[in-house]
Amino acid sequence: MVKLIGFVPLFPLLGFLINGFFGKKMSKGAVGFIACASILASFVVSLLIFLEVHNSSAQKATVVELFSWINSDTLKIPFSFLVDPLSCLFLLNITGIGFLIHVYSVGYMHDDAGFSRFFTYLNLFVFFMLLLVLGNNYALMYVGWEGVGLCSYLLIGFWFKNDAYNRAANKAFIMNRIGDLGFLLGIILIFMNFGSISFGEVFNKASSVSTGTITAISLFLFIGAMGKSAQLPLYTWLPDAMAGPTPVSALIHAATMVTAGIYMVVRSNIFYSISATASEFVAVVGAVTALFAALIGLLQTDIKKILAYSTVSQLGLMFLALGVGAYSSAVFHVTTHAFFKALLFLGAGSVIHAMGGEQDIRKMGGLKKALPVTFTTMLLGTLAISGVPPFSGFFSKDEILAHTYEHSKLLWLIGSLASLCTAFYMFRLMFITFWGSFRGTHEQEHHLHESPKSMTVPLMVLAALSVVGGLLGLPEFFGASNFMSENLDTVILRKNPSILSHETEWMLMGIAVAVALSTIYFAYQMFVTHKVLPAEKESEMKSFQRVVYHKFYVDELYESMIRKPIDLISEAFYKFFDVQIIDGIVNGIGTVSMWKAGIIRKLQTGHIGFYIMAMTVGALTILFFSLMN
Amino acid sequence: MKALFIISGLGILAMLAEIFKFKRALYPLVLIGILAALVANFTEFNNNESIQAFNNMIRFDNVALAFSSVILITAFLWFILANDYFTNETSLTDHFSLVLFALTGALMLTAFSNMTTLFLGIEILSIPLYVLAASKKNDVKSNEAGFKYLIMGSFASAFLLFGIALIYGATGTFDLLAIRAKISEGMPLFFYAGIIMMLIAMCFKVSAAPFHFWAPDVYHGSPTVIMALMSTVVKTAAFVAFMRLFLVGFGSATSVWAMAMAGIIALSLIISNMTAAAQSSVKRMLAYSSISHAAFMLMGILAVNPIYSMRAILYYALAYSVATIGGFTVLYRVEKQSGNTYDDFNGLAKRNPFAALGMLICMLSLAGIPVTAGFFAKYFIFTALIGSTYKWLLVLAVIMSCVGVYYYIKVIIAMYFKKPTHQEPLLIEKSHTLLLAIAVVLVLVLGLLPNFVLSV
Amino acid sequence: MGYSITQWLFGILSFLAIMFALMVVFTRNPINSVLYLVMTFFCIAGHYLLLNAQFLAVVHIVVYAGAIMVLFLFVIMLMNLNQDTEPQKTLMTKLIAGLIGGVFLAVLVGTLKGAEQLSFSQTGASQIGMVKNLGIVLFKDFLFPFEIASVLLLGALVGAIMLGKKEIK
Repeated sequence: MVKLIGFVPLFPLLGFLINGFFGKKMSKGAVGFIACASILASFVVSLLIFLEVHNSSAQKATVVELFSWINSDTLKIPFSFLVDPLSCLFLLNITGIGFLIHVYSVGYMHDDAGFSRFFTYLNLFVFFMLLLVLGNNYALMYVGWEGVGLCSYLLIGFWFKNDAYNRAANKAFIMNRIGDLGFLLGIILIFMNFGSISFGEVFNKASSVSTGTITAISLFLFIGAMGKSAQLPLYTWLPDAMAGPTPVSALIHAATMVTAGIYMVVRSNIFYSISATASEFVAVVGAVTALFAALIGLLQTDIKKILAYSTVSQLGLMFLALGVGAYSSAVFHVTTHAFFKALLFLGAGSVIHAMGGEQDIRKMGGLKKALPVTFTTMLLGTLAISGVPPFSGFFSKDEILAHTYEHSKLLWLIGSLASLCTAFYMFRLMFITFWGSFRGTHEQEHHLHESPKSMTVPLMVLAALSVVGGLLGLPEFFGASNFMSENLDTVILRKNPSILSHETEWMLMGIAVAVALSTIYFAYQMFVTHKVLPAEKESEMKSFQRVVYHKFYVDELYESMIRKPIDLISEAFYKFFDVQIIDGIVNGIGTVSMWKAGIIRKLQTGHIGFYIMAMTVGALTILFFSLMN
Repeated sequence: MKALFIISGLGILAMLAEIFKFKRALYPLVLIGILAALVANFTEFNNNESIQAFNNMIRFDNVALAFSSVILITAFLWFILANDYFTNETSLTDHFSLVLFALTGALMLTAFSNMTTLFLGIEILSIPLYVLAASKKNDVKSNEAGFKYLIMGSFASAFLLFGIALIYGATGTFDLLAIRAKISEGMPLFFYAGIIMMLIAMCFKVSAAPFHFWAPDVYHGSPTVIMALMSTVVKTAAFVAFMRLFLVGFGSATSVWAMAMAGIIALSLIISNMTAAAQSSVKRMLAYSSISHAAFMLMGILAVNPIYSMRAILYYALAYSVATIGGFTVLYRVEKQSGNTYDDFNGLAKRNPFAALGMLICMLSLAGIPVTAGFFAKYFIFTALIGSTYKWLLVLAVIMSCVGVYYYIKVIIAMYFKKPTHQEPLLIEKSHTLLLAIAVVLVLVLGLLPNFVLSV
Repeated sequence: MGYSITQWLFGILSFLAIMFALMVVFTRNPINSVLYLVMTFFCIAGHYLLLNAQFLAVVHIVVYAGAIMVLFLFVIMLMNLNQDTEPQKTLMTKLIAGLIGGVFLAVLVGTLKGAEQLSFSQTGASQIGMVKNLGIVLFKDFLFPFEIASVLLLGALVGAIMLGKKEIK
């Protein structure tokens, strides 16, 4: 079965080719069917392979060489796939969630003129993502890495008639290129030091290279991960990337592509285990990003932006886990996060669909009755992301925080604060959107409807996964075995066993649950009890202004104790840091090159005399310096 | 060897077409002739009989055959690109014979093993090009381009001749291998001055900074198809010549020229990429980008192992030529319709989705984004250079290739994300569609199966 | 140490050649320039004679001084370029050009040191420039360059004609 691994990326590629070449001539139904079927087929193959790998007791990792790809004397890179528990898990994530999102998109994109183009890109994306995960060497990984970046770029700018969307696409592309540059330099360093870029060979020799070199390599690789996984300071593209259609946000910018950075670090875990400096750096960047993005999330009003910042924050938590050496916890969180974040995004998409394109939560409200399925599933997703037991997010987040506590109390505190904020803004989103009364226009209210089956069924499946996903990694002291860490046992090359006592773990868990529940209660008080005042119902047209008004004075506690300081910090971060510095740096690269170009361009005068003089001076200089030696 | 005869014979045949009135048949004849030359190349491959010819004046070894095949493939594609250029032109047969003579020079440059053949090859390649650059007789810009090219080209030829003279003076021979053998005996200073002179002349021919000044002006002034010829066939030929001369002839004197070349490369990379980023005309951008690619190929010559260099450069030349021809096909049509600025590409995805897709892939390849041939081209050059002492150059090249992405992406943005300034669809005739399809397929196939070329 | 007659001749011819060459550049009247160039060619032909290369000397005079320069003269006269139309260069340009040229010369002269160590076998050297020997070398060793040069000439010819002939509408 493992030998059939080639089929996993082949199906999406075929889907891409068929839809790309004949999509325009086929009916929408056929395009959708081909796209979905190709992903489903590769999911089935992945599942079979996963089961085989999981059940085989002896050899967990198999290298399947498809053909010899590059074969020069210095460098032999076979086009080979690595099938091991880690890649299998990612395969399931990508194809499984990918399939659900494809099905959902058939409903969501139904009226869009670019229907076939959309599925063409989407299939291509899945192909590259599979390549990234399956590649047995850094070169193949890099190919997938760039490929998904390109697809993400094309999909962010999918509605290319809007200039703002195009800018978002460019921003994403440029930021990712900065990261990729780091990744490429990392690969070059690896090749220089190990003479190979195949995972097996490199990892075997890893301990024979000086720690300084390993640190440099790990930091360069991490720069790549920072770009792709939207970490500080390269994260701003992700919220902007919400310009793309919602299924894209769910698949690419929440569930799969952005976790590529995590995958890469887990894959290279031996480097990070050797270099304490690099791990520490990863942990700090992760923790700071987690808190920082969560703070910004508190104030956003665009439903997709909230989810985007929450993604950045959750990715930060994963990197925190990687930094403290809890690789399997990070992968566990990647999996559960993929379930509930995809669910939340698709739910948000369903809301937006029902609202006729409206994304501002202030203009929604009371959608509970109109969208029962969306509401129920999103509520489950929110409970999961907020870390309420026994939903999946609770277990994965708890595992990360427990490992962090063991490593550093300060980072644990930052991480816990981030999850506190997460619980708060997620429930804020839920309460404002689904509780209370409707604040949109009459037309919108009339239009409100539950989404079609093709959209709600994926929601239900994902909701079920979000609820039970935690079973994949039950803590050991629950008596059950931790499937996730056992599964990844062979992939993580150096482990540091947990030294926490069960009592401490219970305590941490208790704190987490208490914090989550009280935050939710607090949010409920603020947004449901205090906000839905009878006075607001009198005139729906004016309600928008009233809501803003009440938000500012009804809850004095919120106003004085939390909101104002956080408002200031968040606003400051958002306005100054985000907009000024980071965008400034990104734009700066362009400006500097334009400025230099201006000077150099002046040299191109058009006078032959000047050209010849320049040539002679050049010749003279070269002659002089070469012959001096 | 046979290819050289076939192509020069075709050139003479083209001249006869005017007299014997078979002008119509000339175009298909030329295409068939190039294919025949290509086939002849393949039959000679690994066939040792024909390696040495004419008293070791010229040597069609496997390297030469591989590179001349690249040139022939590019030339074939170029002829498809230029089909309507040839049908509209009044002095049709002259153009044919000039291009074919230039091609003869290019083939000579892939195989020379003697300074005389090198010089003759360069002149045979250059002189028809001076004329072709000026071939739009009523266009002042074109006249200026031809004139500038002539003057500056002669200047460079003077350097070349002076270099050859100095080297002959020191060694008493024109033969590359004989010179190589003599270097180890220790040479007087003026021998090395000769090498540097030749380096300068060759840098001029491949348009590396600071000897690149002619290139943007000449490229911009020449008719677009001629520019396509200059930045593909001519550039490749000049490169092979450069490579043969410095790796075979002066390979054991690297200490003299390597540092100078590293400096030239660094300067070229910075100047070309920075300037290309500031252009508003796609044609001029491509002119500067060709300088930048020249610098990348030069990096291959610096590598420690000549075999890796050769493979890296071969792959680069092919990848670059094919993507450039593809890019020029679209540029040519767009230019015919409106103009050659970025704005003329606005909304091309709507006006002609296929052309936009083709351009997209060619631009991605030139930018060096993976899965396209351009990525591996850069990758091989970089890996070839890793073992050398010029690691700083590597870092600079990686950074500059990121700047490169910026200006190639600008074309893509214009095509896909901007509102069209011209509403009418862009029409592309069948042969050009076919050409673009071939270029795109080659770019992708080379990217997916780079081994095919490397196994040479 | 006395100089032989050949060395005297070499000195005089070299001096004249350099002087005429400088005059070509410095004269402002195009016709005078061309005439000085003819003189330079004669001096160089003299050098060829000193090297016992009679064929080259004759060809040099016939082709360069005879044909090409006459053509130049015709063109200049027919197009009536016989005036000092060349715009005066600024002092700055002259200075820079002079400086760069001077340094270039100095570097080149510097590289020539060590040239006297070289010695070649002299066998047959005196006869190498004779027509017979030249012919043998040209048609035996250098047959390929000799033949391929015809392509070069053909190319130049076609190019010149193409640029020169009238556009047929």
